[in-house]
Amino acid sequence: MSGNVRFNLMHFMPYVHLPENHKEFHSLWVDFPNKYYDPKRGHKLYQQYIAELVLADRLGFDAVVVNEHHNTAYSMMAAPNLIAATIIPQIKNAKICVWGTPPNLEYPNRLAEEYAMLDVLSQGRLEVAFPLGTGMEYWANPINPATARERHEESIDIILQAWTQDGPTSYYGNFYTYRYLNPWPRPYQKPHPPCYIVGTGSPETIALAAKYGFGYSSVFVTKQRALELNQQLRRAAAEKGHHIRPEQLPLGVIVYIAESKEKAEEEAIPHIRYFFEDALRTTPRFLSPPGYLSVDQLKKRAALADKLHGGFNFEAINESFFVAVGTADQVVEKLEEWGEAMGTNHFHILGAIGNMTHWKVVKNLSLLAQDVIPRMRARAGAERRVAAE
Amino acid sequence: MARPDPLAGFEREIHTVNGVKTVVLTAGRGEPLVFLHGAGTWHGFKFALPWAEKYRVIIPFHPGFGESGDDPGLSDMHDYVLHYLDLFDALGIDKLRLVGFSLGGLLAAKFAMEHGRRVERLVLVGPAGLRGQARPTSDVLSLPPEQIPAMLVTNFDVIKPYLPEGPDLDFMGDRYREGGTLARLLWEHPYDLKISRHLHRLTMPTLLVWGEDDRLIPVQMAEIWRRFIPKADIQIFKGAGHLVLDEKREAVDAVQRFLT
Repeated sequence: MSGNVRFNLMHFMPYVHLPENHKEFHSLWVDFPNKYYDPKRGHKLYQQYIAELVLADRLGFDAVVVNEHHNTAYSMMAAPNLIAATIIPQIKNAKICVWGTPPNLEYPNRLAEEYAMLDVLSQGRLEVAFPLGTGMEYWANPINPATARERHEESIDIILQAWTQDGPTSYYGNFYTYRYLNPWPRPYQKPHPPCYIVGTGSPETIALAAKYGFGYSSVFVTKQRALELNQQLRRAAAEKGHHIRPEQLPLGVIVYIAESKEKAEEEAIPHIRYFFEDALRTTPRFLSPPGYLSVDQLKKRAALADKLHGGFNFEAINESFFVAVGTADQVVEKLEEWGEAMGTNHFHILGAIGNMTHWKVVKNLSLLAQDVIPRMRARAGAERRVAAE
Repeated sequence: MARPDPLAGFEREIHTVNGVKTVVLTAGRGEPLVFLHGAGTWHGFKFALPWAEKYRVIIPFHPGFGESGDDPGLSDMHDYVLHYLDLFDALGIDKLRLVGFSLGGLLAAKFAMEHGRRVERLVLVGPAGLRGQARPTSDVLSLPPEQIPAMLVTNFDVIKPYLPEGPDLDFMGDRYREGGTLARLLWEHPYDLKISRHLHRLTMPTLLVWGEDDRLIPVQMAEIWRRFIPKADIQIFKGAGHLVLDEKREAVDAVQRFLT
């Protein structure tokens, strides 16, 4: 493992107090009735989740990560920049990653402004991602899924122009016209905060990351597929004259640590089950609104969905996805192996998974900070010294 | 059992219209009768064959539907009007009888309001495009695709042979493609905000045809269309849903009588 090893804590901030009959609902997204949201319980959850992010900072995580979803119990972060603004004064050292607001769901100039504000407020600790947004977001927002990819690319163009060129400039696009693109404030970091694309492996998104030399992180794809995507991105970016560095390839891993493997599984599996079986539950139609995917991608994903169909099976999840549940030693071993294979030193830890109770999150983060992070940093440092000699 | 060929009885021409592959089905001889199809092409056009006894029936697949190619540059209904101007030039069609169904009804109305002198007679069958007042027109993009076929007819047997018996990736992909084209055109508004303002330009003889039990675009919409096209006739067929032409031979015959 080369370079500085990096650990993020990703939080989804789910609303976990589901009604008893929630299994009767085909989806916890898009049309899951919002009468089931209790703001008093929501307030307590926000307090708990923010405390967990702050704890990650105190324990020495390198970054905390928030993101955006709409109409869903999966996440209470419809506006992640509000969460970022709330935690900046409390997060002393860690980077704050908003990974991120889909640019299609805001005016690009406004998103450039909001991110610049967060970057200035945090003295240059912001990192951002430009997701297309899940299919579900297009059922919840008044944006056409059939033109989403063209709009997405144009939005990123506008944001980068706003950040990298001295204003006022102008922009005459297919979706937006700016006569005076001149956003105040401007980012603290120059030329702008580090940028990533987060996606589920569409060739179009890989091409976009390659075009700009952005980092890329795949979500909800199998290990094998994630490996292929990283290779594809490196190749595609090289063709565009960009060298993708290891730290640009965050590797999302579900991690839970306890005293023994058995105890770790006993404590974590119910919450991993909740994450896959309930929090992520939705319909093929909501996942793929018309025009959102190419027909080819739709067929590939439909064929894959048929194979994965059949309820929660921890062994299968463990086999297919990056899941490290066990002792600290076992987790270190897996992370190092996967980091090596994926060509990354950037671990994006899903350490507060599903409806995990607060004490388990605290335990998990504490053991990560005590027994995993320092060891992996030390070993990477030793390798670096050997390499230097 | 193999599904019947939904295009049996037609000849197939391939044209390139301003760069877009455009497949045109034709049958019969005589003066041109152009049929503009709706947003789903899977149930074919067998119902139109009786018209071929008197007319040269011309059924083009719209770009992004059926056998025609894709062109994302055709991004609103008016682009399709212009596409048909090009196609009619290529086919040597000047004046025509125009029949439009559902999405094709909206398209036919828009073509006719701009090029009225070319349209000798106009038939709109369960046309989409007007925003409902008392009873909103169903937004097809809001319906789960698996629920749509049963909503189209009163007698499911009429369309059953054209549907796959089980999961069928190709069929699913074809429908997804047509849904994507529809979304490109109508996602922001599943109706045309301006059409009612201009419908008075439909001064040619016009017939509105509806299935009484249309569950996609309710039959009450017929009167709303006539509010804007005062001289239009309305014919409503009992025991038929949205696919009134597929379900009721009487409706096909009524269209033929009106056109003659």
